[in-house]
Amino acid sequence: MSHSPVSPIRAPLVEGHKTYHQITEDLSTPTEKRPNAAWWGAFAVALTFLTIGVICIVLTIWDGITEWNLNRTIGWGWDITNFVWWIGIGHAGTLISAILLLFRQKWRTGVNRAAEAMTIFAVMCAALFPAIHVGRIWVVFFFFPYPNSRGPLWPNFNSPLLWDLFAISTYFTVSLLFWYTGLVPDFATLRDRSKGLRRKMYNFVSFGWTGSAKHWQRHESLSLVLAGLATPLVLSVHTIVSFDFATSVIPGWHTTIFPPYFVAGAIFSGFAMVQTLMVITRKVLNLKQYITLEHIESMNKVILLTGTIVGVAYLTELFISWYSGYIYEQFAFFNRALGPYWWSYFGMMLCNVISPQLFWSKKIRRSVWWTFFMSIFVNIGMWFERFVIIATTLARDYLPSSWSYYSPSWVEIGIFLGTLGIFFTFYLLFTRLAPVVAVAEIKHILKSAGDQYIGKDAHHHHSSEITQES
Amino acid sequence: MNTFTFERSQRMFLGTLMGIGLLCAIILLLQHDPLKARFWSDFLHNSVFFSGIAVMALFFMGASITGMAGWYTVFKRVWESFSLFLIVGIIFMIILGLGNYLGFHHLYHWNDAETVADDVLLKGKSHFLNKGWYLLGTIVIMGGWIYFARKLRALSLEEDQDPGHDFEKHRKMRVWAAAVLPFIGFSSAAVIWLWVMSVDPHWYSTLFAWYSAASWFVAMVAMTIMIIGYLQSKGYYPEFNRDHLHDLGKFLFAFSIFWTYLWFSQFMLIWYGNVGEETTYFFTRRDHYPVLFYGNLVINFVLPFLILLRNDTKRKLGTMFFVSGLVFFGHWIDYFLMIKPGVLHTTQALSAAGEDHGSHAIAAGFGMPGFLEIGMMLGFLGLFIYMVFWQLSKASLIPKNDPYLAESLHHHV
Repeated sequence: MSHSPVSPIRAPLVEGHKTYHQITEDLSTPTEKRPNAAWWGAFAVALTFLTIGVICIVLTIWDGITEWNLNRTIGWGWDITNFVWWIGIGHAGTLISAILLLFRQKWRTGVNRAAEAMTIFAVMCAALFPAIHVGRIWVVFFFFPYPNSRGPLWPNFNSPLLWDLFAISTYFTVSLLFWYTGLVPDFATLRDRSKGLRRKMYNFVSFGWTGSAKHWQRHESLSLVLAGLATPLVLSVHTIVSFDFATSVIPGWHTTIFPPYFVAGAIFSGFAMVQTLMVITRKVLNLKQYITLEHIESMNKVILLTGTIVGVAYLTELFISWYSGYIYEQFAFFNRALGPYWWSYFGMMLCNVISPQLFWSKKIRRSVWWTFFMSIFVNIGMWFERFVIIATTLARDYLPSSWSYYSPSWVEIGIFLGTLGIFFTFYLLFTRLAPVVAVAEIKHILKSAGDQYIGKDAHHHHSSEITQES
Repeated sequence: MNTFTFERSQRMFLGTLMGIGLLCAIILLLQHDPLKARFWSDFLHNSVFFSGIAVMALFFMGASITGMAGWYTVFKRVWESFSLFLIVGIIFMIILGLGNYLGFHHLYHWNDAETVADDVLLKGKSHFLNKGWYLLGTIVIMGGWIYFARKLRALSLEEDQDPGHDFEKHRKMRVWAAAVLPFIGFSSAAVIWLWVMSVDPHWYSTLFAWYSAASWFVAMVAMTIMIIGYLQSKGYYPEFNRDHLHDLGKFLFAFSIFWTYLWFSQFMLIWYGNVGEETTYFFTRRDHYPVLFYGNLVINFVLPFLILLRNDTKRKLGTMFFVSGLVFFGHWIDYFLMIKPGVLHTTQALSAAGEDHGSHAIAAGFGMPGFLEIGMMLGFLGLFIYMVFWQLSKASLIPKNDPYLAESLHHHV
């Protein structure tokens, strides 16, 4: 790898003339020091939200779904909106680790570890909602098709809700394996630097990794196999989530573009969440030389791209609803844009399609502040998108006599805040337990992407050797 | 051999293919067929298919430049040449657009004033489905594509002379490459609705534009592999190594699966929803075109999936050439299946207008591509390759000052 030439136009991805040892030091120390006040503060806030969530979930289970403002036509409200939102966020990790690995995009190494972790936590938050939205959580095992104890009673295999169960559990398993496979060499690095109980702990989780050639070879083949498996999964999970809606015959839901459009939207929101986390993490843990402006810019380009794809899909839907000549379809979109929930439709358009166009400017793409605000914007916009699809459609169905207006109860809001608490609690713990940036993978690209080898500040004999090799 | 010489024998061969195409066209025009539906549907089918390959080459080039891809640089000129076929494509599409005015073809039911007057749905759509939009949309959109294709080509040729300070030419190219992506993204959908989806004017599917664009894309990758394979057999492109081939193979594999994914998404949702207005599209194809309907999935999914799954097959030029030929033909069939049933229905409805009952039998050249369809396709193929070779011969085969060239020359996976 290190002998291949690197184009002189490429910018470095590791800054500060790092040596291998410095990389180990920089990336391992956050797990070895005592956390600072900022971390404790953030952790306290996250735990508070988590507690609110637990209280609201207990209330929901104790009293039933009556705690939510659902009614006869609006069977899905914030619950499934949040579910889809979290699942979407859980798409960036596997996209970065699998698809960008296959595309050999080196910038993935700066962010893949955190993105994969985020994926796992997001999927956990998502999975909570189907479980609690059934009301009687003690019969939730009925989701699972298992033989021989329920007689003739089986879940409906024709239902996309059941397909969802398979899709999400498969996705969760493979994402977890992928993440853990990458962690093994890094856990071994942490083990080698530690003593006592800590050493025993990391020794256990690193599976006796010694860094032998054989280990690396197995590690690399496993990563590639998992990347191959995970690539179709990135598409399949949100495809199947979109089937939950699109297999119905409800205007606004029954539309064939849903599968790829949901996937693009998921990647869009996932990258936004990665940006939110990375912008903070690189500052707090002082990782600006590993998560560089180059990384941030690349991710902003992905956000611009996927935001525009989502824009094409919105306009396609809107146009085809008119083109169809089918009045119910036309009404569904008229109602979305100009009905009682018009604010959510315009919020969605503004946050998801219009505002990302700011990223055509290189200056804004490389501005940390702009990136942070835009990432929050996109997160909000993608939440609105799901709300638009679910609430506006259900609030005005085929029967005008049952039309109504839905707004959430405080319990529903509390559960959503609770999932944010769960997500950030796990993420904060993760930053204490494992290197947030993959140590081994950064070392792997150092020779081809370190700023002492390529770019403007490269040492002269290195750069001339590399660029003139051709 | 850094310059391609367009030899006399090649010109003769390609000229012969075009001659076959022309001959088939004349035979079709001389046949007793009052609406000349068979000829014009073949003409539409091939014009759309080959123009689509050209625009997908432009799109992929734009995506590769924007994504800072380096590997493809050695054969970049092939895609530049593909994209310039749009200049020919626009002429064909304008002919079809004028046909709506002059009435020399009757491909589109929405262009028949009498039918539209009695049809609420078509009347509603007539703000979009009308001859003015068809012609204007075609000219503006394809004209835009051509503008971008020529711009990127011109910058690429200028770069050969002088890359500019700090890769100035390449940085300019990046701007154009980024801009072409949303332009094609939005505009391709509009023309696909006009050109292809509207042959079944009552039917609609939001996924249709992406589905048919994916079909173009796979055909484009297959065409790339075949053209480079041929050029290598002539001793050109010694720099194109097994790893480049492997990567093109991965694209062919991945996008064959992606096409299938879109096919399935569209089919499954319509099947599951079971709304009569939508299912009729697939019933027609399944019941009257069973061989092509299932064959489409076998050629474009099952075979490339099984053949390209292994690593080593993607590294063998012979196998890759074979599977590319297969998939190329497969996607041509896919377009056949998108266009022919709708045109046949329109033709039958229009011919039956004056009579009590029209014929519902499937006319020759509609149920299955006949020799004349294959001949027309060969004619277009000859023309396409002729234009590509002509463009290739006008510049050095390797863009020698491209900043990613060194990476591409040492490409290794």
